[in-house]
Amino acid sequence: MSPELKALFEPKSVVVLGASELMGEDSLYAMFFRFIVGNFSKFKGKVHIVDLSGKLEGSEKKPNRAPRDRDLAVVVLPKELLEKNLPKLLTRKVRALILVSGDLEKKQEEGLSNLVKRKKLLLLGPNAAMGVINTANGLMATAAREPIIRRGHLAIITQDSSIAAMMLDRVHFHNAGISKFACTGEGLGVDETDLLEYLVRDKETNAICICINSLKNGRRFVEVIRETVKEKPVMVLKASPRLEGVFEAALRQAGALLTENIGELIPIAEGLIKQPPMRGNRIAIATNFPGQAILAARYLSEAGLEIATPSNETAKKITKKYPSVRIKGFVDLGATAKASHYKFVIEQLLSDEGVAGVMVINAIRSSLLESEDLCEIAEVAKKSNDKPVIDVVTCDEDYAIAREILADTKLPAYDRIENGARALKMHNLRWKMLEKLKQK
Amino acid sequence: MFLGVSMTAEKRKVTEIINLVQNEGRRELLELEGKQVLAAWGIPVNRTELAKNLEEAVRIAREVHYPLVIKIASPNILHKSEAKGVKVGIASELELRQAFNEVVNNARAYNPNANILGVTIQEYLPPAREVVVGGLQDPSFGATVMFGLGGVWVEVLKDVSFRLAPLSAEDAREMIQEIKGYPVLAGTRGAPPADVDALVDIIQKVGQLMHEFPEIAELDINPVFAFQSGKGAVAADARIVLGEKK
Repeated sequence: MSPELKALFEPKSVVVLGASELMGEDSLYAMFFRFIVGNFSKFKGKVHIVDLSGKLEGSEKKPNRAPRDRDLAVVVLPKELLEKNLPKLLTRKVRALILVSGDLEKKQEEGLSNLVKRKKLLLLGPNAAMGVINTANGLMATAAREPIIRRGHLAIITQDSSIAAMMLDRVHFHNAGISKFACTGEGLGVDETDLLEYLVRDKETNAICICINSLKNGRRFVEVIRETVKEKPVMVLKASPRLEGVFEAALRQAGALLTENIGELIPIAEGLIKQPPMRGNRIAIATNFPGQAILAARYLSEAGLEIATPSNETAKKITKKYPSVRIKGFVDLGATAKASHYKFVIEQLLSDEGVAGVMVINAIRSSLLESEDLCEIAEVAKKSNDKPVIDVVTCDEDYAIAREILADTKLPAYDRIENGARALKMHNLRWKMLEKLKQK
Repeated sequence: MFLGVSMTAEKRKVTEIINLVQNEGRRELLELEGKQVLAAWGIPVNRTELAKNLEEAVRIAREVHYPLVIKIASPNILHKSEAKGVKVGIASELELRQAFNEVVNNARAYNPNANILGVTIQEYLPPAREVVVGGLQDPSFGATVMFGLGGVWVEVLKDVSFRLAPLSAEDAREMIQEIKGYPVLAGTRGAPPADVDALVDIIQKVGQLMHEFPEIAELDINPVFAFQSGKGAVAADARIVLGEKK
């Protein structure tokens, strides 16, 4: 039975309990508390701050004097202060609890479990410093330091706090759009499977990333994944080398897309939202950067894909309109190509039967390509509903430009050809998985 | 009828064997018992019968036909080859008489306290590609199946694939195809392909068995002889270990 997670992600009112001034080791919790309080500035519901140090402006000092009915409580105390103050806070009704406190003694954990049962409380944690984010209502119940998160359609589930912090960093770096985010910490209450069950029904979420360090009930996890992948792609990051053999096989069997590469997780998952599954493995390449495109054959082949040379008919159409375009396996548009060239060429490639997907490989600053051109290329990508189009921008400065401009478009941007190739491979695996479902 | 639910004949037979082993306080099935489980479950096994003494061995051998294989049968000797308790390709009664005594003496030397039940007389299988099919109850994922090529492929190269059980025929086929050594089965250098369909069937049945009998902690069929396409596959050994009785 999965608990109803609404109170965790969609609370109307929140109470945050902590202490803003603590010394020595405990000062970590003072820092977390201040970060979390700061992150509540954009929350659309009510927030009530309880600061045991009595320093924060507008805060209450006593936990039992908070308003009557709270959906969510966030508790940010070192374990020594927890035993006294948590029960006081819970004298008033609370539905869900995010427990940032960590390193609990065995006895404390048991006490916590009993409390959770008695109060019918939804617990996230302990050790869940990275907490919960919901971009739809501005909820940022997280101890990350002023995270910058765009609203979008990708949901992220993590167990370990450091992986969670890396995920938030990557989300920002790739300018990805997030719907929901949660870190289960020790997973004493809500676990990754509960979160998955909630997210499969979440209308804001179109793809889900899960970072797994360990699994208690693998069987239930894969059963929920099996149901989820019918609705939306699920990518699983294997965050511990101990997870192999049965783990990998079981997740693949259930239809999850697996990776060990933390760097590719976010961009590929977002790419799966933006572009359709890919029916075959033949990739056409359109480029203004032939020196890089020439490497593509190798990377595609490592991903089990191959270069699709345009058919004679397609080639003729292209060179008739743009005689300067060179076709040598890939389509070289030349450094002076503008959006109009790209649009025409990509459209021709997409209507070529021998092409399953299109990889655009761009240089920006060493060509005549402008930001507006990228947006126009993205327009072509938006119209393609059965063949994915992706953009690979291999120069780092260029990639920084592309990820800004393309963030709100339907054209996924990758920073390396190998990452683009791996992404297209995932589009292909997603297609195969959906086909398999259709047959059943 | 069992708890108001009727058990299939196969399930009843397997339950019977497991109960018998548990009642004797054993956790590991004899090869013969393991093969009885597999056979009851519809997995082809080579004919295997227990001979308690030499006279029985000679009589059974006439029915099984030469050449044949004999293996020591003792609940205390699990690694039969290590105990020099296996003889392959016995072609005549004379050879059988010699081999019987030799195998029994070897076993006594290997473990003087072993309870020796006799030897199993087994149908000799012509050479084939050897594969391994296994099953394991995973603490997190429950019933799983494993597939690999026999010998060095599994032991040294760890070239194996896994799936959760029960599994579809398509999953079983993918399991076979995803090991690196698959070309060996598909047929290389002019060799005809092995009977992959028969292997798919065995893998699926092992999966079903592991799923229906959580009390089977481990199962190993090593080797399965995979004959040419259309000629089937046969379990030539069976090792089944039961979990702690709850």
